[in-house]
Amino acid sequence: MIDRLSSLAVPAVVLCVGCLMLFSGRDYFQAFCTGAADGLKTAVRLLPTLSALMVAISMFNASGAVSFLAAKLAPFAQAIGIPAEILPLLLTRPFSGSASTAAYGELLERVGADSMAGLCASVIFGSSDTIVYVISVYFSSIGIRRTRFAYPCAFAVMLFCIFFSCFLCRLCFF
Amino acid sequence: MLGKVFGTLCLVACLFGFLTGNGDALGSAVLDGAKGAVDLTFSLAGMMCFWCGVMHVLTEAGIMRRLSHLLRPLLRLLFPQAAKSGEGLEEISANLSANLLGIGNAATPLALAAMEKLQRHNPKRDTASEEQITLAVLNTAGLTLIPANLLALRRAAGSPRPYAVLLPVWITSLCCSVMAILLCSIPRIVRSFGKKSP
Repeated sequence: MIDRLSSLAVPAVVLCVGCLMLFSGRDYFQAFCTGAADGLKTAVRLLPTLSALMVAISMFNASGAVSFLAAKLAPFAQAIGIPAEILPLLLTRPFSGSASTAAYGELLERVGADSMAGLCASVIFGSSDTIVYVISVYFSSIGIRRTRFAYPCAFAVMLFCIFFSCFLCRLCFF
Repeated sequence: MLGKVFGTLCLVACLFGFLTGNGDALGSAVLDGAKGAVDLTFSLAGMMCFWCGVMHVLTEAGIMRRLSHLLRPLLRLLFPQAAKSGEGLEEISANLSANLLGIGNAATPLALAAMEKLQRHNPKRDTASEEQITLAVLNTAGLTLIPANLLALRRAAGSPRPYAVLLPVWITSLCCSVMAILLCSIPRIVRSFGKKSP
């Protein structure tokens, strides 16, 4: 049921666009190409950053530091219902989009996209954003130095997101 | 910022690797990581390309404008001051709709424009107003209909059902948004209670 609903969403949106191109009479294909070119630029712009961070995270994993940390934290993490493997993702998510993309990609390769840890990581990755980046850019652009409760609020929401994702994944998939 | 992240990771990796005798694995990890970055970019590129194209078509067709109209009544409740002054609501709803449609590139400039409009009615220039905080925190909750990069990465990792997480992602990010709104309106609620019972 969850699988069916989720997997229908993307074809449905694509079908909408197809119908627009067929029946609206306007040249939407040109618009598609403009957008697609932008998307490609975004993806390519990521590569230099990713190459550095993927190497760093890959070294970090190979050194055994992650499995050491994960093993130490596993009982604690298990007790509160969070798979310990997703730790690198949790540590990078609030700070940088490319670092967390690298951590997430690496995690999926290592534990599999449909393992418990992979699913939890996916939901967390999909429903959170780079808090520090967003808040600092937004407020510095208009010269605000005192952000009051913006950071505590955002981190509280992120914490809620982590617990809720793991809880939901266990409910839905296991 | 990222330089520090890179440096810390490398330092810890090297120290830990050589202390625990995993030092030999580090060299091949560098090669694997660099190759992984290219693989990741390639698997992302196709989906990003296609999806940004799709979103551009929808924007041209006026879907985003309609979506921001739908959001307007709800936003009036969340941003009473902006609603009163009549400035900023338009940008806020455009920003949230762009986020919802997953056009991250368009969302940031719109959010900055909204922040600037809100700043005009901010009594303290260097201190964030409650509505500005609400907007920023809402933007960190990541409410997106089709998270294209997530799907591409899951597919690249060989998942037979990359879409399986869509519904949980929607539910979670919706709950996170509600949570963000609730947390950010605590000061306002407290104040209105204070007024009612002096």
